[in-house]
Amino acid sequence: MKIASLAVALTVAAFPVMTHAQAAPATQSVKTDEQIILKQVMTDKRSVYAQNLQLTDAESRAFWPVYDEYEGKAKKLNDEFLKLVDDYAAKFGSMTDADATAMLKTKMRIEKDREALKQTYTGKVAKVLPPVKALRYAQIETRLDNMIRREVYSLIPLAQ
Amino acid sequence: MKNFRIALAATALLSVAAPFAAQAQSTYDDTQQLIAQIQSDKRAVVLKAMALDDAQMTAFTPIYDKYQADRKLLMQRGVDLINAYSSNYDSMTDAAAKGLLKDWFKLQEDELALVQGTAKKLDKVLPTARVLRFVQVENKLNTLLRLPGIQGIPLAK
Repeated sequence: MKIASLAVALTVAAFPVMTHAQAAPATQSVKTDEQIILKQVMTDKRSVYAQNLQLTDAESRAFWPVYDEYEGKAKKLNDEFLKLVDDYAAKFGSMTDADATAMLKTKMRIEKDREALKQTYTGKVAKVLPPVKALRYAQIETRLDNMIRREVYSLIPLAQ
Repeated sequence: MKNFRIALAATALLSVAAPFAAQAQSTYDDTQQLIAQIQSDKRAVVLKAMALDDAQMTAFTPIYDKYQADRKLLMQRGVDLINAYSSNYDSMTDAAAKGLLKDWFKLQEDELALVQGTAKKLDKVLPTARVLRFVQVENKLNTLLRLPGIQGIPLAK
């Protein structure tokens, strides 16, 4: 049920984004709330891996440093994405072409960086775990990533 | 309701692609039919969601249809990958796991490149806010389409 609680936390994390986006004139940042919730999500995510990877002691010692390094780098991308959502919310309804161009460019760069990061670190995981467990790791990461995306995308209004 | 139909079709596609749950025999024709149905439903959703004027629609549709044709090839690769995973599931070797991981990441890369390449083409004929909207709509729909494939497949053992 950890995955279900993770989904709830993600929904709560994304909800202020929508409130902020709908109230276009609002300027107060929701970043702090989002960061608190994201920290909770990261903690839950760790236990999802712990339960589902079924690592031996030796595998655990090799895996967790790689995982923590990955999450540290993923967090930077998450923070960038949250900043982008804040900018989007602030400009929603009065977006210029220049704003849209800059946001699109940033969004695409974050997506590429995220994909590259996943590939790099799955490769690192595959060096310290048997390939079948690395595949399992990639499957779990993909499921969680898709859940996060589904929640976040469903709450962000389309550009006008 | 269109989104719901797409999700149902995507679930049906999974049952054709991978015999984990339905024990269905995979057939090329069934798969092609379901991909065509998903794409047809998706096209209607996208055209409506883009909210374009007539001139913008005229510029948008040929680029979008080319995008859909390229995405169809990627969907077929996804189906092939699920079938390969299914065939190897009970006796997964290290080599098979490595091959599946490699193919999966290549598919992800190609999907991302397709969306980004199409956005660049659209940026030449539409206001950028509409291009941003296209990327948002695609992200929403593709996340929805991936769900059955991702959640309905058991983890490697």
